[in-house]
Amino acid sequence: MKSIREQVAAWARTASPWIIHFNSGSCNGCDIETVAALTPRFDVERFGIVQHGTPRHADVLIVTGAISKQQKDRLVRIYNQMAAPKFVVALGACACGGGVLQGCYGVLGGADKIIPVDLYVPGCPPRPEALIDGIVKLLSGIKGVENA
Amino acid sequence: MKIILCQLFDILIYPGLLFLFAAGLTADWVDRKLYARMQNRQGPRWFQPLADFVKLVSKETITPKAVDSPLFKVLPYIAIAAVASCIMMIPLQNMDALLSFQGDLIVIAYMLTIPTMCLFLIGWYSSSPYAAVGSMRVLTQFFAYEVPLLLALLGPAVIAGSWSVGDIAFYYNAKPVMTAVNIAGLLVALIALQGKLERVPFDIPHAETEIVGGVFTEYSGKLYAFIKLAMSMEMIVVAALFSAVFLGGSLGLSGVLGFLVFIGKLFAIIFISALIRSLMARVRIEQMINFCWRVLTPAAMAQLIISIIVRAVYG
Repeated sequence: MKSIREQVAAWARTASPWIIHFNSGSCNGCDIETVAALTPRFDVERFGIVQHGTPRHADVLIVTGAISKQQKDRLVRIYNQMAAPKFVVALGACACGGGVLQGCYGVLGGADKIIPVDLYVPGCPPRPEALIDGIVKLLSGIKGVENA
Repeated sequence: MKIILCQLFDILIYPGLLFLFAAGLTADWVDRKLYARMQNRQGPRWFQPLADFVKLVSKETITPKAVDSPLFKVLPYIAIAAVASCIMMIPLQNMDALLSFQGDLIVIAYMLTIPTMCLFLIGWYSSSPYAAVGSMRVLTQFFAYEVPLLLALLGPAVIAGSWSVGDIAFYYNAKPVMTAVNIAGLLVALIALQGKLERVPFDIPHAETEIVGGVFTEYSGKLYAFIKLAMSMEMIVVAALFSAVFLGGSLGLSGVLGFLVFIGKLFAIIFISALIRSLMARVRIEQMINFCWRVLTPAAMAQLIISIIVRAVYG
């Protein structure tokens, strides 16, 4: 049984996920779909989703693309700059497991090789609806989570 | 004892912190909802600003190693204190403010610059390049919009022949026709308000596409929640000031009716602000300064001269 304070905090967390978008070596396909998901047509503000520029404000880190060796340090740094509790969404086939770029000389693989990933959204690229569906599923999943 | 309790009620509940908190969050929601409807979408749910606030408060608050820690932590609260003190000097549901004296218009105008100075210092002490650029832009922009804003506020004071916000509101109730004289001044003030609250088209200090989060870049958790709240509260306070100075406050009504009139005027001003926000795109900093000094300031000066002439002829 959780205290009222924890319940209120969990409610607020699910009602207002602020996202930050990070390209870790993507072909830009997933990034265009992410930006498309933030347009008025899909209206993600209905779920309280707002994009923020700085990792200090954000709750959900959206990683697109296979992790290249160049971007690995930057990804870790961005992840460490986020305030807890924080969540990571791997968007697209490459971020989920390397995709077609798997085995390339400059590629480490999926995002979960570097940072803990809470949710995978497959597709090449995933449609904006898939991203919105993923974030809503993530929110319904974290209702009970104390500290991810 | 009873006086102390009354004063505590004024400070903590109405028109003090609790009212400002609720009104600020409501204004935030109304603004975002109007913005969404003007973009032909549904927009946030009614509790969205509250959820944002609670979430930020419950999050971890990071203090980077490089920052000047005491000031970094205390500045958001100074901004809130300055804004909440202003509401005591503005007449709300009736014609009398809690604190009313000759010259309170000037005091309010100066108190409302404290949040801006806090924003500058927040960026300065964050020791982040983005925040430093943001804080320089805050100051540059401050010198552009503050002059026309003050000149625009002078117009009604000249016509009413008083430096007290309550007296000005009282004068406009007695002579409603005089409100029409100040239309240009109100327009200038509404445009300068976009600069003061750092909203589109003058959101240059935290332009996300250029400098990440501007002065707020290093702020997280509780501290960011409170600085955001200070900005929402400032919106309410400035809108209340405009409604008292330009629009005659609560029209001489008092009690619940006066309160409703006051709230109506407040949200009319927020509506115009949201309209400007959804119609415009961000301008560059030097375009903003050129516009403020070449268009807004002369317009405010012309308004002032008209006010002086009207005062001399019909006073």
